[in-house]
Amino acid sequence: MNQDPDRIALHARDVAFDWSALPLHWIPGEPFATHLLDVLHLLLPEGERWFVRLFSDALPLVRDPQLAEDVRGFIGQEAMHAVSHQGVLDHLATAGIDTGPYVGRIEWVFREALGDRGLDGLAAQEWLVERVALVAAIEHLTAFLGQWVLEASELDRAHADPTMLDLLRWHGAEEVEHRSVAHDLYVHLDGRYLRRVRNLAIAAPMLVRLWAHGVAFLLSRDPEPRRARWRDLARAARLGLCPPLGTMLRCVVAYLRPDYHPSRHGSTDAAVAYLASSPAARAADGSAGAV
Amino acid sequence: MKEDRLAEVIGSAALRIALRSGRRRRPAQPVDRDLRLTVTAVRAEAPDVAGLTLARPDGADLPAWRPGAHLDLVLPSGLLRQYSLCGDPDDRASYRIAVRRLATGSAEVHGLAPGTEITARGPRNAFPLAAAPGYLFLAGGIGITPLAPMARAAAAAGVPWRLVHTGRDRASLPLSAALDPAHVLLRPDDEHGGPPPVAALVAEQLAALPRGSAVYCCGPPPMIDAVRRAVPAGHRLHSERFSPPPVRGGRAFTVELARTGRTVDVPADRSALDAVQTVLPAVPYSCRQGFCGTCHVRLLAGRTERDTAAPGSMALCVARAEGDRLVLDL
Repeated sequence: MNQDPDRIALHARDVAFDWSALPLHWIPGEPFATHLLDVLHLLLPEGERWFVRLFSDALPLVRDPQLAEDVRGFIGQEAMHAVSHQGVLDHLATAGIDTGPYVGRIEWVFREALGDRGLDGLAAQEWLVERVALVAAIEHLTAFLGQWVLEASELDRAHADPTMLDLLRWHGAEEVEHRSVAHDLYVHLDGRYLRRVRNLAIAAPMLVRLWAHGVAFLLSRDPEPRRARWRDLARAARLGLCPPLGTMLRCVVAYLRPDYHPSRHGSTDAAVAYLASSPAARAADGSAGAV
Repeated sequence: MKEDRLAEVIGSAALRIALRSGRRRRPAQPVDRDLRLTVTAVRAEAPDVAGLTLARPDGADLPAWRPGAHLDLVLPSGLLRQYSLCGDPDDRASYRIAVRRLATGSAEVHGLAPGTEITARGPRNAFPLAAAPGYLFLAGGIGITPLAPMARAAAAAGVPWRLVHTGRDRASLPLSAALDPAHVLLRPDDEHGGPPPVAALVAEQLAALPRGSAVYCCGPPPMIDAVRRAVPAGHRLHSERFSPPPVRGGRAFTVELARTGRTVDVPADRSALDAVQTVLPAVPYSCRQGFCGTCHVRLLAGRTERDTAAPGSMALCVARAEGDRLVLDL
């Protein structure tokens, strides 16, 4: 049931998570894997708020009402992702981990290096289209990660914190659900192959670099500080607590195909099924119904 | 904020390349998504339910859809209404909808005669049918419309399914008679002395289905709430998301858009967002229920109520003026 003629109507879900009982190492006995995934909370809110600003700025350029509707749904979902990860970030602060130095750099990347740069007119528009292509490349990677976390039963077997798993899988499911929007927007605004793939060449190394710094940062601020080691990454991968490297490389290669379309990767069914059982998403639907 | 030299170098290089790329970029082309359809047949599915068949005037294929999808109909009066597709997704030449006469919009649909031309948009799916080991479909009255194609899809795929159709009386249970009666429980209130005990009904039906079966529910909000309470956590419950609730008990007010230099009137029964959109069609918004924060704008003067935005700003989609006038940074 995967070859979709279905056009899912995207909408944001009013989720809420309670972190008061979250242990610092929420994958018990796995500080490295915990911090590897914790980087998401440091990296994503700023990135997602950047998506929201960019896509809101891109809306006036969209001349396809159906795509505009998709973009609006995407914006709301990303805004809720930012709020939800920010909640974990705030919890880390109360747990005594000051993420300021790392987050400050992420802010600089998205607000200055990838910000509006004081442009106007056609230059501003061109820089906007370029960054939409960058978002499309990032979204290809996040959809891949979302699909992985939906299927990673190893996290359940490792007794990862259920609320954290719900956050990651709700987020992952929405990434899968809206995985075509950024690509469709880029194709509508430009669509040229070279511009599309050169932005993956920026996005993938940039994310790997920021991620590596984030893990090293969190490990150094752990109550039992330690260094990030390759063998810890290999262990996490072997235990299935992070995506396997081979699959990640195949994911990057898939983006290079001239006929690439996100709908051919990942499973809307898995996303829809998870969202129907996610405690947070179900509670959010309940509150929407009660309005 | 802390500077990142490498990011700065890459960002600057990307910008230079972007500006060069722009010289040969073709601007976005307009896409017309309107479907111009003709009502080809009208039949009474139940005493107050009209079943309409819609097709292109030239009989050409329509966009494909999957069970759970809905169509936006632009009614002759300009009203926009959403109706679930209740026909067969394999029939590419026509769409079918079934509409109960309830209020202004549905009364207008009931007035559409064969041969009438009508504009539609979509289809879109806010209620997708995802693979499951079994399905329990719970329909309240006209809520059967998205579920009937789902039940047929489950039957065609050989997946176990049950459908319970509730309503006031037998006349309020359209479409379900055409489904395989071995899987269908019709439960009119008047024959059972009132509405069903939802928790017991759900438990009893799920017991007859494989473990991990998904519940799909479509009906009036109180029924969906009851089902939500009855389906245990960890089970899949799918219900359709409807448009945001209408504005109730609002007062009219005026919004001044400081940067645009325009003033718009917000009627008592519409949101500030609706009103602002008439002047600024690309104003950012998303959830239209006050929580996602996309439409929050800086408030330059005036006080708001029902506002979910931080002090000093306003959630255009839900907030209203405490007085008669607001000034916004738009």
